[in-house]
This record gives sequence, C-alpha cells and structure tokens, in this order.
Amino acid sequence: MKRCIGGIAASLIATAAICHAADAPAPGDDPVFIAKAARAIDGHVASWYRKQKLPVPAVTDDATFLRRTFLVAIGRIPTAEEARFFLEIDDATKRVQLIDYLMQSPGYSSNMTNWVFDLLRVTDGKPGFNGSFEAYRDWVRTAMEQNMPWDDFTNSLLSSRGDGWDPKTAAVGYYTRDRGMPLDNLANSMRVFLGSRMECAQCHDDPFGDTERHDFYELAAFTEGQGALNQGYMSKLWDELGEEDRRRSLDYDVAQVMWDRVYGLSLAGTGAGHIKLPDDYQYRDGEPGQLIGAKTPFGKSVRISEKSDKGHGREELAEWVTTKTGEQFASVAANRMWKRVMGRGVYEPVDEFKPAKELHHPELMNMLNKLMVDLDYDLRGFQKILLNTKTFQFVPNPEPSKVLTGDDFHGRQLTRLSAEQLWDSLITLASGDPDKTPRRSLDDRIYVSNKPVLVGKKNMPQLSKEVLALKSEEEVRAYFTTFLADVRKERGGSDNDGGGGMMMENKIHRYGNDSPVRASELPSPAPRQHLLYLFGQSDRLVVDGASREPNVGQVLSLMNGYVQKQLVNNSGASLYKSLDGAGTDEEKVRRLYITILSRPPSPEEMGWMLDEIKASGEDGYRNIVSALVMSSEFLFLQ
Amino acid sequence: MNPSDFNRFDEPTRRRFISNAARLYLGVNLLPMFGSSVASAAPEKAAKGTAKSVIYLYMSGGMSHLDTFDPKPKKKEVMGPTEAISTSATDVMVGKYLPKTSEVMDKVCVINSLTSQQGAHEQGTYVMHTSYDMRGTVKHPTLGAWVLKLGGRLNPEIPGYVAIDSSQENSGGGFFGAKYAAAPIGSPNDGLQDSTKPSGISQEDFDRRLSLADRLNKQFHGRYQNADVKAYEELYQEAIRLMNSKDLKAFNINDEGASTRAMYGSGRFAQGCMLARRLVEHGVRFVEVQLGGWDTHYDNFAGVEGRCKEFDQAYAGLISDLEKRGLLKDTLVVVATEFGRTPTIKTEHKDGRDHHPAAFSCLLAGGGVKGGFKYGETDAKGERVKENPVTVQDFNATIAHALGLPHDLIVMSPSGRPFKFADQGKPVAEVFV
Repeated sequence: MKRCIGGIAASLIATAAICHAADAPAPGDDPVFIAKAARAIDGHVASWYRKQKLPVPAVTDDATFLRRTFLVAIGRIPTAEEARFFLEIDDATKRVQLIDYLMQSPGYSSNMTNWVFDLLRVTDGKPGFNGSFEAYRDWVRTAMEQNMPWDDFTNSLLSSRGDGWDPKTAAVGYYTRDRGMPLDNLANSMRVFLGSRMECAQCHDDPFGDTERHDFYELAAFTEGQGALNQGYMSKLWDELGEEDRRRSLDYDVAQVMWDRVYGLSLAGTGAGHIKLPDDYQYRDGEPGQLIGAKTPFGKSVRISEKSDKGHGREELAEWVTTKTGEQFASVAANRMWKRVMGRGVYEPVDEFKPAKELHHPELMNMLNKLMVDLDYDLRGFQKILLNTKTFQFVPNPEPSKVLTGDDFHGRQLTRLSAEQLWDSLITLASGDPDKTPRRSLDDRIYVSNKPVLVGKKNMPQLSKEVLALKSEEEVRAYFTTFLADVRKERGGSDNDGGGGMMMENKIHRYGNDSPVRASELPSPAPRQHLLYLFGQSDRLVVDGASREPNVGQVLSLMNGYVQKQLVNNSGASLYKSLDGAGTDEEKVRRLYITILSRPPSPEEMGWMLDEIKASGEDGYRNIVSALVMSSEFLFLQ
Repeated sequence: MNPSDFNRFDEPTRRRFISNAARLYLGVNLLPMFGSSVASAAPEKAAKGTAKSVIYLYMSGGMSHLDTFDPKPKKKEVMGPTEAISTSATDVMVGKYLPKTSEVMDKVCVINSLTSQQGAHEQGTYVMHTSYDMRGTVKHPTLGAWVLKLGGRLNPEIPGYVAIDSSQENSGGGFFGAKYAAAPIGSPNDGLQDSTKPSGISQEDFDRRLSLADRLNKQFHGRYQNADVKAYEELYQEAIRLMNSKDLKAFNINDEGASTRAMYGSGRFAQGCMLARRLVEHGVRFVEVQLGGWDTHYDNFAGVEGRCKEFDQAYAGLISDLEKRGLLKDTLVVVATEFGRTPTIKTEHKDGRDHHPAAFSCLLAGGGVKGGFKYGETDAKGERVKENPVTVQDFNATIAHALGLPHDLIVMSPSGRPFKFADQGKPVAEVFV
C-alpha cells in the first residue's frame, strides 16, 4: 500500500511519508535507502556508546555472521553448499549479498509464518469445534509470503467479515478462532497490535494500570456481534438431524459440513458499536445490562453512540488502531521486528508499548518509528535494514543485559534456538535445503466423515458461497437434499473418492507429522510426540506461548531419538553427501564441521576428531556427527 | 522396592521443600507486600503435610455423580435403572456398577458437594486442572506443575510429574515453563519416549559420543558463561542418570507379576493405574491418569456401565495394592471430573443425562485423608448442594494441603500477575484424619 498522505502517526513524528513514482523501487527494495538507514541506526547506537563512555563492540567473523543471519532471516542453518560458498568467496560485499539472497528466499516467509502463528495463535483446529481453520491459516501464510504491509494485514484482520472460505475474506478466522470468547480476542488484539495490556479490565478495573472495566466494554462495543452468517436458516434442520438416532447417518455428516464448516466459519455483522454491560458489572459508572456506545480509550478519539445503528464498528476500530494511535502502532511493530533481529526489543516486554521519549534511546526509537512509516509497514524491508546494521553484526554477547528494561546493544545475546529453528535445521541436515519443497497449499476439498468428496466437482469455497447465499429455511433444505444426494451418489458409485478429482488433488500439498518439511508447513501445533513440542513450540492457545526452556526430554530426544535415527544412523541423510569426494580424514572432518556448525574446526578440535577416527575407524564419523549435533554450539544462536 | 525404600525420600524431601519455600519467599517471585505474612505461616503448613505424592485419576467428559458416588436410592425417577449398593463403609453407598470399588470404600473419602461454574468440557477441565478460568491471555500451570514448583522432586533421577493418556492442554507447565510440564506417556505399555539407547549402537560408541560432545560443550561453556548453556550441560548428566537409573524400570509395567496384574485387570486405564503406582513408588511426585468417555448425553446407563467396567477393578486394585505395599498412607489418590450430570433423564436421548456443574462428586483416598467418610451433601434429587459446598478451588487447596504445600502462596507470572495454587480456595480440613 502506498500512502501518499502521511497518516497521523507520520505527522506526529514529524515526517511526511514519501511519494514514489511508479517506476522507482519501494524503499524496502532500494539498496541505497537500505544502506543509508542502516548507517543511521548504527550512528544512534554509536552515540549511545559514546555517551556511556563504552567502546563500540567489534563486528563478528564471517562464520558467526553466516549462521546467525541464516537463523534470524530464514530460520534454519545453511546447507553445506551455502556455507562453503559464503565462507570461501572473497568479496567485500558478500554480507550484503547474503542478506539480499536470504530475504528473497521462500525460507523468509516460512520463518515469519512461525512468528505470526505464535503471535495470532493460528491453529488448524480447536477442541470441540468440528471444522478446521484451513482457509484462515492459508490466508495468513499467504500474507507472509506476499509480504503484506503490516498495517494492511492488521486492518484486514480487525475489520473482517463474511465468508470464511472466500480468499478475500478468510481473515474472519481471526475472530471465528475465538468464537465464544470475544473479550479475550479483543484483549489480545490490543496487546498484539498496540502493546496495550487490557486483559485484567475484562473483569475488573486494572489495579496495576489505569484501564477501567468501563473503558474495556466501550472498546468491545466496536467488535460486538460476532455471530455466524444466516445460520438460523439451518437451525431446525440441524436440530432434527442432531436427534441421536440419526447422528451416525450420512445425513448428519453431510449437514455438519454446512453447519460447522460453512456457517460456523463465517462472521456476520460489522461490529455493532454498542454493547451491554455484563450482569456482574460492579462500578458506579454503569448498571448491569446497560447499553453503552463504543469509544476508544486513547489516541484520536472515535465514538459510536449507543443509539446509532450504523454499525461498521470493526472497520472503525481497525482504522483507529492503524492510523489514530500516534506513534503506538508503528512503534510496537518496529520494536517487535527489532526483537526478531537483535534478540531483544529496544524496550521490553515488547507487548507493553512505551513512548519513545521515556526510553533510554529516544532518538533511536523515533527513527525506527519513522522508518516503519516511511517503509509503508514493509516488514521485510525493515528487517533487511536491521540485518545490514553493524549493530546486528556485533560479536556475540554472553552476558545477560545490564539494562533491565531494554537493549543495551552489547551484541546479540546467546539464546537457544526456537523449536522451529531447531527442527528446520535438523531437516536441513537430514534432507537438504527444505525450501525446495513446495509449501503446504490450501486444502479446499470437501470432507465428509474425514474423506474428500465431490473432488473436482465442487470445493469448499464454492460450497460456502452457495450456502451463504441461501435466503430461507426452504432454500437451505432444498440445497441440503441435493448436496446429500450428490454425496450419496458418489458413495454408491464406488469406494474411491471420485476418479475425476485426481488432477485437482495433485495440486494439494499436505504434509504428515513426520514429514521432513518446514515447521510452518506441519500441523499447527505439532502433536505431542513431535520434536517441536518437546522443544517448546507454542501450543498457540495464548499469544507468544513458545518456550525455550530446557528439559530432560529434549536431551533424551537428542541422544536417543530423532537425531540418532534420522541423522546419525541414517546413511541416506543429506549431511553425509558433503563427504563425497573428500580425500583425507582432515577434509572429511572439516566438511562435517562446516555442514553442521557452519565453521571449520579449530586446530585443537581437529586433533580431537582425528583421534576419534583413529580410535573408531569409519564409525568415528557417526560419533562426530552425533557429538556435533548434541553440542550446545548447535543448539544456541550466537 | 519395599516401603522402607520409599521412606528414604522422606528427609531430603522435607529439606528440599523448606529450601524451595525459602527461595520462593526470599526470591523475586514473591509479591513483596505479602512476603512476611506468608513466610511465617507456610513452614508450619509444610510440617503438617500428610501425603508425599498424588495419583490424580481424571474422569474426562463429566462423570455422572448419581450413578456412581452420590446415588439417591429413594428417587426412582432420578436413578432410572441404576441401583445403589452398600459398601465396606457404613453410610456410603455407590452405584451398582462399582462392585469392586464398594469393597474399598472404607479407605475412601467421598466429597458429594463439589460445585463449579463451568458447564463446558474445555473450561471445566481447565479449571479443575489449574484452579483458574481459561483466559486467552495467560496459560496457568497445572496442579502437577504447581506441586513441583512449590515442593520440588522426591527422586532427582526421574521426572517429578508424569501424565498418562492425558492431553497437552492439561498437563503443561503454564507460565512456569516446560521444566514443570509433565513427562508425557502416550501408552502405558511403552513407557517414556527415547529413554533408552538407540538399537544398533554399542555402549562404547554411545559413551564416545557423549564424551566428545561433553568436551565440545565444556569448551563452549568456557566461552559463554550462560545459564541456559549450563542447564543443558547439566541436563545431559540428568538424562544419563535417568537412563542409567535403576528407577527407569519404574516406567516398565511389563515387570509386574501376574498376581498384581490380576488385581488391576487388563484395560488401558488399569495399566495406567499400575504404572502410576510404580512411578509413585519410585518417587514421582504427581501422576495423572485419564479415563475418557464419561460424556453420557445419550444412553447414560449403558455408557456409565461401560466406563465403570474400566474404572472399577483398576481403582479398587490401585487402592488395595498401595495399601498392601504400605504406600497408601503417603499417597493421595484423587478421582476428579469436570462436572456431574443432570438428575433429569432425557428419554428422547435414549435416557441420557446432560452436563451438570452445580453439584458433583470427587474422591480422595490415602495420604492422611479419612476413609469411609462422606463430606458434603446434595439435595434429595442430587441437583443442588445442600450442605458444605466445595468449590473446585477448595478441592485443589485440599490437595495442596495434604502435600503440605502453601496453597495461598502468591507467585508472580512472568507478565507480573499474581497467582496461587488454588486461587481463592480454602482446604477442607474436615476430610483429614
């Protein structure tokens, strides 16, 4: 999105957004703009060091830079070829080139997908809901792939309404995912997009903050009314089919497709703009059950009277969040990106917004806010700039931060790989570059009793469109009768799932739990016995629920589980291909080091490894692979 | 292992508990303003703990209180075909589907006055396991995680919290982190995942790998004095200790003899109970075993009968086996569920019963709890609590109390919000001997 008139955020931080001619590159793709912005950031950081009378840390060596940049930018370690290529060429601009290469790679969007799935709690299904969030998941995944500007993305989610299967409106999953708990959804929206914590105020005035329960309900009024579209036309039919003696019938299963997976995924209304105070409302500024209008709690005020029927509250809320909250929206996005790249936010925690003027580094934060706006919320461009800074390339910092509330820029702190980084790195060792595998695609087939039906004849988006267009109970009954007959005819015809569908099926890529594909393409969340679970993947029930905490199960898994079976003892594992053509033991050890740790061994390590080969013969290589993958150096991002 | 082995965990436990408590009281986790009052009250409670471990049997789906532990024999219209039978405890009757359980009721305390606000499975299960209502904004630690956080492990060689056939959502560490999450067991027959050396690797190679990795790690750790790096170094030692521990056999129920197997019966739940006993015997502090399928909206009586077949012998076997081994006095055996079921029988659903959170029953046994004792009472139809209501939080506070853990200690979440083992719950003192 090109914004030619600076929004309120832009004017507040005193810049006019720049208008580009159609043929000029967007700033996020313009190497001159990127280099200049990166230098400006480094200037702010250096001046901070001068003020503190501290020496500016050195820039790290190529090997550390290589591994760090791969893991931060695309979430996996380099393949052996990638590592050798980078380490062996002698070119002054190779770091810039590497960043460009990675940010254009499909791995970038895979990595961002994990981040945004954690942030938005995107799951395939949820207990007690007989459907899947397939279309929403794919919408979010595609938005990351297309690098949708963050303000447009936010706006699409918050203002969404309509058909859950239409690619244009599948963002409704943001609300339908939380159907039945709209207040929690809203509290999360405020936290995720604006860094405002309001969850306490759902039930009572916040004793630690200044949000009152009344404010929260005024905000909730914008999103009130999140029912399903037209579902009432089917209620009677559904009740009849729900009678127990019919529950195991095909009729019931077919009806379930319409009830849960079409109606159940749709979002009616536009946000009422008014809401009733709850029955246990306990303060003097309102009565239980009283109807109140919508009002924003800070920023440029937006209101809807409780008497108004104009609706469109969700659109108003989305506009307010993205354009009427001063620096807040840009700052939270910029700080989240800073944390992704640098390891810690400029201020922490990243979901509690702090105005730039209250920070240790107000000039830096002001500049980042402006940059986010100038880039039109291009997250890829923004991260590219950060990766190009010297600040990102400082030598690793083993020490915990000295400034509790934020980054003191002493270099990236050592952190354990996330579950996804670890998994994506292990499959790289097992099967080679995972980004050559196509990503999971939208499965838009109609499933009846877990089997696809009418494949090639009708898909979920078509079905959904037709069903949601029905305008009376009679029409729904008639449609159901035809739909059921079609399914029954196919079932009666043959046991396979419709030969005509094979062509279409070929286009659908779905991966089972154990497939060696990126974590972003596996079921979300991965099942309990999966390595991802063991290493702390978020179960995506709460915002940013991932854990990097060590536990004994992880170590057992490294010693005895996946690593041993798929890497060490699997002669077909991709990592062993790096040994092809290596003449000497030294060369083999060197290649294993580069493949696994992205660096050559030190002379001391070379000595240990050669001793190992002398003692164990060919088995020695397996022992070396095992030891390198089990090492802390492998598990940690420097 | 005999009871005297079990006792060897006694002293270190107490010491560990006290030192953990001290760390909590003195540490940054405490809400400073409450620090002093809690600190003075808690050690006294710690000294009064009557149980060391918990076996938490969870009846998932909502166990009908009327057809099991709160029968109303005088009300035919409520009971349908379920008859009540007398038990080894005077005044305690149970549904006819529990003949073996009826023989151990003299060791069991029935609480008939549980009451909850949560009438949906997910929310009900969540509050039972965490004492808090579900929030999209914070993940609460489960009971087992709280027990480890406040009480520490009994046996440092093996995991302190194990969940058998349980679900991911209800056996996590919550905001305490993965360290406090249960070690998951999907199949009681298979034991703990990846706890043995992969086949085809000689012990020599295995050791060489570890010592090579250890050398690399020491070097790395020398460069980076980082707590998490250190933690992994230590975890390797812990994992190897676990692999080499003679207590690893705790996870292997195939070692049980025929006579013990016969006590428990053969179902999956029975095997889970048998595994739970083995684990507790080896010093695991909190074991959950789930038995699902209690959601008997349709054909309640056939459904309950079927579930009771799984439950009856396994539960009676567990209580008897613990007793026989002298473990019952130190082990609190809990039977819990998210809600009961309606006194109204829905004939249109082939005599089904719907969810009923207003009144339901749970059991406690062993661990210093009175046997053959009934606490709380429902009205004539089993519809409302008439006497001594026990909230979910009270129930959980009672579990904490039995373990000598401070149920009212405030622990701050990383996001800076205050939480307690049992929220506002108060222990039910009357159930203890």
